[in-house]
Amino acid sequence: MGALAAVMYREGKIRATNVTFIFWDLVYPLAYLLVFGVGMTAMGLTAPGTGVDYNAFFLGGVLGMASFGIASNTAWSFFMDRDNGIFYEMLTYPMSRAEYLLGKALFNLLIAVGQATTTVLLAAMVLGVPVRWVGVPLLVAAVLMGTAGWFFFYAIFALVIRRNDAFNTVTSVFYFVFLFASSMFYPIEPLPESFRAVALANPITWHVDVLRYASIGVGAPMQIAVEGVAFMGFSAASFAGALWALSREP
Amino acid sequence: MSQHAIEVHDLVKTFQRRRQPPVRAIGGLTFSVPRGCIFGLLGPNGAGKTTTLRVLTTLIRPTSGWAAVEGFDTLAQGVEVRRRIAVVLQETAAELFLSVRDNLATFGRFHGLSPATIRSRIDEVLDQFELEADANRKVMDLSGGFKRRVQVAKVFMVDTPVAFLDEFSAGMDPLLKRAVMARLRDEASRGRTIVFTTQILSEAEELCDDILILNGGRQAARGDVHTLKLLSSGLYDVSMTFERVPEGLEAAIEAYAPLRYRVNQNTAVVTLHEHNFKVLDVVGTLAGLGHVLRLEVNGATLEDIFVELTKARGREA
Repeated sequence: MGALAAVMYREGKIRATNVTFIFWDLVYPLAYLLVFGVGMTAMGLTAPGTGVDYNAFFLGGVLGMASFGIASNTAWSFFMDRDNGIFYEMLTYPMSRAEYLLGKALFNLLIAVGQATTTVLLAAMVLGVPVRWVGVPLLVAAVLMGTAGWFFFYAIFALVIRRNDAFNTVTSVFYFVFLFASSMFYPIEPLPESFRAVALANPITWHVDVLRYASIGVGAPMQIAVEGVAFMGFSAASFAGALWALSREP
Repeated sequence: MSQHAIEVHDLVKTFQRRRQPPVRAIGGLTFSVPRGCIFGLLGPNGAGKTTTLRVLTTLIRPTSGWAAVEGFDTLAQGVEVRRRIAVVLQETAAELFLSVRDNLATFGRFHGLSPATIRSRIDEVLDQFELEADANRKVMDLSGGFKRRVQVAKVFMVDTPVAFLDEFSAGMDPLLKRAVMARLRDEASRGRTIVFTTQILSEAEELCDDILILNGGRQAARGDVHTLKLLSSGLYDVSMTFERVPEGLEAAIEAYAPLRYRVNQNTAVVTLHEHNFKVLDVVGTLAGLGHVLRLEVNGATLEDIFVELTKARGREA
């Protein structure tokens, strides 16, 4: 526990040196919802087959996007640590490689929960999104699991790829592929069969579907359960991959 | 428990890189370091010093053989090893976005120090490293030398039984370097084992109880400074300063087939082996060429031995 607390303390200290960064982390999904969701709703768009307006539909997507964003930013910090030389020194500190990874993830889970809380509360109060309060425990679990899972996934690439510019290209590709070939922005049911197959195999879809079910109750419980288990498997595999990448030699 | 802080047995490390031939950085190294010893790893570039240190600090795995720190295997018991070491890497390593104080505090947290201990240690270390004035500045705003100070200062925040320092004095001013060396001696006298690499041989000569000279990933020599100097018995450095450089000086020096020599302004420095002649004969001959203002005759320095050993290995290779 001491090592995890020490990594969290370090991450917190570093993040606290830039308050604007923390502020943006906390409000950017809400800002996205306000700009994008309100715009779409104003155009009279609804999410077909869901029975809710676009703002409500997009809440799960925006929470998923926020987890994805925090995860990629946190993984990018490996490059900063490398540039500062501290990365290798930290590998000689009294902790296991797993504690290093988990500690880095844990601090960002706190940010993610703060972010989700701000977004859900203001979405309910300002945009009138019909939040299903009974689903909050599942929502918190999905935010935690999602942020951690995507961080471990990104960490594999951040640790294996040693060039910052190459990693930026990878994240751009991931943003494009994972976010748009998923249920984040629109329901996948009315889409062509091939697109739907890709989206159903996309862990973002699994994650967003759970968030959407937890926040507004849209989705079939059995399918959500399967997707939830699949995402846990994805997170576990990503953790193993990140651990492997971190244990590789410098 | 073993008497030794560090044990290395038949250690081999080969680096495999894709589409490149394998590089054998360490080729069967065996040594041990007793507790409370200041141990120097010396060698030219590419000798295997840093690779050896990286194995001992659990950053890399040996290809074969084993290494243990405080009785714990570096491969199988990495966390136990890391609990017992503090490391200064060759590359500058600091939390650039944090202040000097926060750098020290963070390091203390990792090593499980209580907040009160961290506070008192920070004051002590800031004072010793003359960092009080910069304590609240971000490290990114400091010069390279000061960043290095912060990095080395961290080692003195904690009481780990072993400290590894890879070329710790790089970028340090001479006064601070002296102070750090004194502190290292003090720590060793209290039982802490210090392992460091350096290319500055005077540092090793002054500081080390025990020296291992590496070359090509293998042991070239081992022992304390006096023992190593015996390897070059009969080797002398003669330094003579003339009123003006006499004619025929270089020819006269070359007649004695010195190992090396240089004439710089009025001073000639000659390193030679006393095989076939007495060193005083050489001094007499050279002194006869002109008016000598200053004369110095010394036995071999660690640098002489280092050059001899590493040159010899280079020829073998």
